[in-house]
Amino acid sequence: MKRKHAGKKLLAVVMSFALFFPLAQPVLANEESSADTPAAELRSNLDHLLSEHFVLAAISMMTAYDEAGSAESVREQLEQNAQDMTPAIASIYGEENAAEFERIFTEHNTYTDDIVTAAQEDDAAMREEAEAQLDAFVDELAAFLTTATEGNLPEEAAAEAIMLHEEQVLMFFDHYVAGEYQEAYQAFRDGIAHMHMVSKALSTAITTQMPEEFDHTRADTPAADLRSNLNQLAAEHFALGSLGMLKGSTQSADYDFITWAEDQNTKDFKAAIASIYGEEPAAAFQEVWQTDHISAEADLVTATLEEDEEGIQEAKDRLLSTFPADMGAFLAFATDGIISEEAAVESLMTHEQQKIDTFDAYVAGDFQASFKTFREGYEFMYGVGKTLSGAIVTQMPGEFQGEVTMPEEMPKTGLGGMSETSNVPMMTWAVVGSFIFVAGASLFLIYRKTHERE
Amino acid sequence: MKLMTLFTISGLLCLVLVFNYASAFYSDQAAKQEGQQEALMEVAESDESDLPEQQQDLAEEFSLLDSSAKEAQATEEAGIVPATLEIPAIDVTAPVETVGVLENGQMGVPAETKNVGWFEPGFRPGTKGNAVLAGHVDSKTGPAVFYHLEDLQPGDEIVVNNENGESLTFTVQDLTSYPRNEAPIEEIFGNTDGRYLNLITCVGTFDQSAGTHDKRLVVRAELNEESAEPDTEPPAAPENVEISGNFVTWHAVRDENIAGYRVYRSEDDGEFEHVASISEHERKTYTDEEATEHRYYITAVNLAGQESEPSEIAGD
Repeated sequence: MKRKHAGKKLLAVVMSFALFFPLAQPVLANEESSADTPAAELRSNLDHLLSEHFVLAAISMMTAYDEAGSAESVREQLEQNAQDMTPAIASIYGEENAAEFERIFTEHNTYTDDIVTAAQEDDAAMREEAEAQLDAFVDELAAFLTTATEGNLPEEAAAEAIMLHEEQVLMFFDHYVAGEYQEAYQAFRDGIAHMHMVSKALSTAITTQMPEEFDHTRADTPAADLRSNLNQLAAEHFALGSLGMLKGSTQSADYDFITWAEDQNTKDFKAAIASIYGEEPAAAFQEVWQTDHISAEADLVTATLEEDEEGIQEAKDRLLSTFPADMGAFLAFATDGIISEEAAVESLMTHEQQKIDTFDAYVAGDFQASFKTFREGYEFMYGVGKTLSGAIVTQMPGEFQGEVTMPEEMPKTGLGGMSETSNVPMMTWAVVGSFIFVAGASLFLIYRKTHERE
Repeated sequence: MKLMTLFTISGLLCLVLVFNYASAFYSDQAAKQEGQQEALMEVAESDESDLPEQQQDLAEEFSLLDSSAKEAQATEEAGIVPATLEIPAIDVTAPVETVGVLENGQMGVPAETKNVGWFEPGFRPGTKGNAVLAGHVDSKTGPAVFYHLEDLQPGDEIVVNNENGESLTFTVQDLTSYPRNEAPIEEIFGNTDGRYLNLITCVGTFDQSAGTHDKRLVVRAELNEESAEPDTEPPAAPENVEISGNFVTWHAVRDENIAGYRVYRSEDDGEFEHVASISEHERKTYTDEEATEHRYYITAVNLAGQESEPSEIAGD
């Protein structure tokens, strides 16, 4: 309560100033309040590739450690993700730099192999050596990024960010190996979130370095933040939802903790909706989200385990028609029709189909198809983030205007040639001051008079 | 006279009936002996109707997947799935593979001569019944894992370990050799009230024409009382019970003998009522549109039907 009060006071002060010095509307205000700028697009692409790297690296180490049948297919997709980064880097820094990036990046995926082997064979020396290699990788990549961004991404900050990423991968893996699944999936969630911070720093550095390439748009506007935040929640939902279904089908011990993490993601999603639309719509969102979506996915797993064909069909119907219809209606309503119900339903059906395909292929033992679809489904969520943020920003542009750039001092717009003395400004203030005094005195007198009457 | 005729006819009729019944009985017995191996398979795959009453109720309340249903069938003591076998007296430590029944009806043998084969369609070591492990006496070139089996003495110990390091110790009762076609299969593989572990290997002379030894040695060992680990402890209560939206969620109890969970909900009179049972393999979630209007607690139930203490109560 106190804070709100202070905010109102501050607003009053700003308003009174505005009366004296009407502020010019910032030229870029409209453009910057869009979630679909070249800079926001760059950030979103990095969100996608970097967080997908984390997700696949974590799953790859886990499946390799378990010697699961899917390990090789996950590994292939992890390598494909690394290769997909090269054209993104090339488009900004040229082929040569991209090749160098690919070399550094691809190598680091092999150090994690040693971490897995070390855990399987309980080989402390091997682990230590792999960690040393990872440290060297962190320094090498940080140096590369700092050089590429011409210092816009400081080396120390880059190294810190990459190091934290590596630590989160290891934290996930170590907890998983120790059977501490809640901690493991907390690290999994943190790791996804962190990659969205790395992409913010990196995209901001790049757009600052070459503003013209990005139409002078910025990667760190509130609209771009909203898009990235929704990207993260949606992508994390897909990763946890799909992985949970796969682990449910194998009745792995960590299944219950993936569903726990999924519930945490739901809470965050609800909080994000609440911050935009308020508590009541957020509660409605959560109900639709859970009823024929999260719980229907769980029912699909259960029915599959029980070889209950009727149950499987029922769960798929809920996922492919009930949920898209209910959530489509919610989104169209919430965004005042900026997102059309039809488009929302279609997109939600695609999302559910991707999850079902990932699951069905996995259950059928076609791990390659399963993890290929997993990647498609993961990427699809970044389209969802774009559509959703675009609609919200269009609906309430004022909320995403961002900080208005203001000078610290007023401009010196006169050279003094027409002034008699240099005391003029002081005189002006004196006049204004006496005006305020008079006004205040009159107010006081009026106040006293009204009270005397009582 | 009439009466005599009647008695004679009915007497004859009785004889015919008795004969029919007896022949049916004997042919049944013969079929039983012929189909001994099939019968063994059926023991392992017996359906729910063979389960004790409590187990049946449990199977109705929770859907038990194949693996957990099999465990339930093992009733009071699940026994263990053997991973390694140790016989200190003859210096044997060997990995255990699973074997089944060959197409010709013979028990399968381990692929490696240094390994021991557990007859997986039969009983688990530690359960009531005859669990069977077989090993080679020799390979084509030299001694194999059970080369010294015949040196065992009553009183020697045999230790079976599972993958998780749990172990059961058996004590040798007796050693008997049978001509290879005359072994009492039922006594070695079948039902019994004791908890036996039978080790089998070849002995006698090698019959070149049959490609096998002429005798089989069976070492019968019984489970040591003190090492039996009856599953009498009820499971721990579930934790982290939480209401979020229309979900009531909790953390699974990490105990391999859990059949499922019971969800209890507060009703208007403040009493808690059992509203749902969630099986172990399901998402640990109860969906209730009015979740926020009630209070809940959850209990865990194990395969022996024991229920845990209630969890902490969630909800306002």
